Amino acid sequence: MNKLSVAVAVCCALATNYVNAEVRINGFASIIGGKSLDSEQTIYGYDDDISFKNESVFALQLSADLQEKLTATAQIVARGDNDFDADFEWAYLTYQLNDEIQISAGKMRAPFYKYSDFLDVGYAYRWVRPPQSVYSIAFSTYEGLSLLYDTQMGDWDSSLQLIYGSYDGNLNGSASKTILNDFTGINWSVTRDWFSARVAYLQAESSTELSTDSSLYGLLATLNENGLVEQAKSLDIDEEDARFYALGFSIDYNDVLFDAEYTKLNPGDSLLPEETQYYASIGYRMDEIIVHFTYEDNDDANDSSSYDQIPEIPALNAAINGSFDAFNAQDNVYTIGVRYDFHPSAAFKIDFSRYENNITDTETETETDVVAVGVDLVF
Amino acid sequence: MKKIILAGVFSLCSISTFAEVAVIINPSNASNIDADTIKKIYLGKSKSFDNGTKVNPVNQNDNAIADEFNDKVVGKSSNQLNAYWSKLIFTGKGTPPVKLDNDQAVLDFVAANGDAIGYVESGKVNDKVKVVGKF
Repeated sequence: MNKLSVAVAVCCALATNYVNAEVRINGFASIIGGKSLDSEQTIYGYDDDISFKNESVFALQLSADLQEKLTATAQIVARGDNDFDADFEWAYLTYQLNDEIQISAGKMRAPFYKYSDFLDVGYAYRWVRPPQSVYSIAFSTYEGLSLLYDTQMGDWDSSLQLIYGSYDGNLNGSASKTILNDFTGINWSVTRDWFSARVAYLQAESSTELSTDSSLYGLLATLNENGLVEQAKSLDIDEEDARFYALGFSIDYNDVLFDAEYTKLNPGDSLLPEETQYYASIGYRMDEIIVHFTYEDNDDANDSSSYDQIPEIPALNAAINGSFDAFNAQDNVYTIGVRYDFHPSAAFKIDFSRYENNITDTETETETDVVAVGVDLVF
Repeated sequence: MKKIILAGVFSLCSISTFAEVAVIINPSNASNIDADTIKKIYLGKSKSFDNGTKVNPVNQNDNAIADEFNDKVVGKSSNQLNAYWSKLIFTGKGTPPVKLDNDQAVLDFVAANGDAIGYVESGKVNDKVKVVGKF
C-alpha cells in the first residue's frame, strides 16, 4: 500500500507542470584535526601523526519543492577519509500527506540511534563525534521507504517512524559484501519540554558474500568438504535473522544536559557475536560554552555454547574457536570535552578520549588516548 | 567582519535596544494565537492556523529583535535554535521560517499575505497588521 501510494504520488507530481521549482541549498562542514597519543595504537582512524583529513566532512543539501506537497532532496557528502570524493548519501522524494504524515522514498538514513539522522552534522551535537561504542554499525543508509507520523498528545510531542527497504555494500572497505533484505524497523520518540525518550527496533535478513581470499572463506570450504556442514553453518552469515534494539533518553534542564543510549544487536547464528553497548553523557551549559563528560561501554561476546564443537579434530576445532574469538570485544571509552559556540552557526570543539580495551580471556589490557580539535558549522 | 562590527555595536547599545517585541498577523486572519502557539509555529511543530490555513512564518535576519524574540518567545538562544533547525533541515523533516532583513520588510510581508505571521519592535507596528501578542 505504501509502495503503491508513493508510486502514485511520484507519478502525479511528475505529470503536473512544475514551473518554478524553488531550490534550497543548505550545507554543513566539520574541519577536525586529531591524533592518537600512543605511537602503537590507531584509534578513530588516527595514528600519532596529526591528521586534518580523517574526520573532516563537507556536505551540501539541495531540496526542491516539485509541487506544494512533494519535495526532492539530495545530500552530497565529501569525507576526508575518502579523499573528499563527493557521494550522494541521501537522495529521496518526500510526499507530505498532511500536517502529521510524510512518506519518503529513496536512499535515506537508517534510524539506528538517536543521532543517526544527523550523524555527520557535528553542529547538532556537543561531541566531536557521537559515542562510537554505541554508534558502531558500519553503514548508515538504506534504500527504501519511510513513513513519519508526528503528533502532539497534550504536552507531549510524538514522532513515529516506520521503515522498509534493503542495504548492500562493502563495510569498512572490506572485500566481502554485506546484504540486508527485508530491512524493517520502527523508531518512536517522545518529547516534553526538557525531556525526551526513544525506542527503536530494526530487523533484517542478513547475508555476507565472502570474498574468496578471506580466511573464513577457506575455513568454510574445508569444513564443507569434510562434511562438517553444521559447523560451517554456525560460522557463516547466510540469511540470518538479525535484530537490533535501542533505548535512549535525553534531558536538557536548567543548562544541565544528560544523554544515555543502550543498544543490543543480535546478528543471528553466525561467527558474529551478540553486541551490547551503552553510553551515559553529562554536560553543563554556560551560555556559549558546554563542558561534557561521557562514559561508554561495549561488550561483544559469542555464546560459550558455540565453542569446542569438534574437539575430536583439534586443528579445525581451534580454527573455529579462533573465528568466534576474533570478533569478541570488551572496551570502554571515557571522553571529556568542551564545545564553544563562537558564532551563531559555528562551534569550536575539543574532545579528549581514553579508550580501554579489556578482553578478559586474553588478559590483555591496552589504553589509548586520542585528542581531536575542530570547528563544526552549518550554512 | 561586518557582522562582528555590527555585533559590537549592538552590544554597546544593548540597553537602548532592549525592545518590546510585537507578534503580528494579517488583519484578515481571525485565528486565536497565544504564546504557546507562536512558539510551536516558530519551532515548526504547528504548521497550520486553527482555521486550517497553512501558516507562513517569517523571521528576522540575526538582528537584535530576532535575539529578543528567540529568547522571550521561543525560549532558545540563536545557537540552540540553529542547532535545532539543522536537525530538521538535514533530515528533510522541516524548513525554517524565511529570514527578512528588518522590521519594515516584516510589516510589508505580513500586510501583503493573509497566511503570514511575523514579529517586529512594538513601536514600529502600523494599522496594516494585527498584533496578537507583546513580549
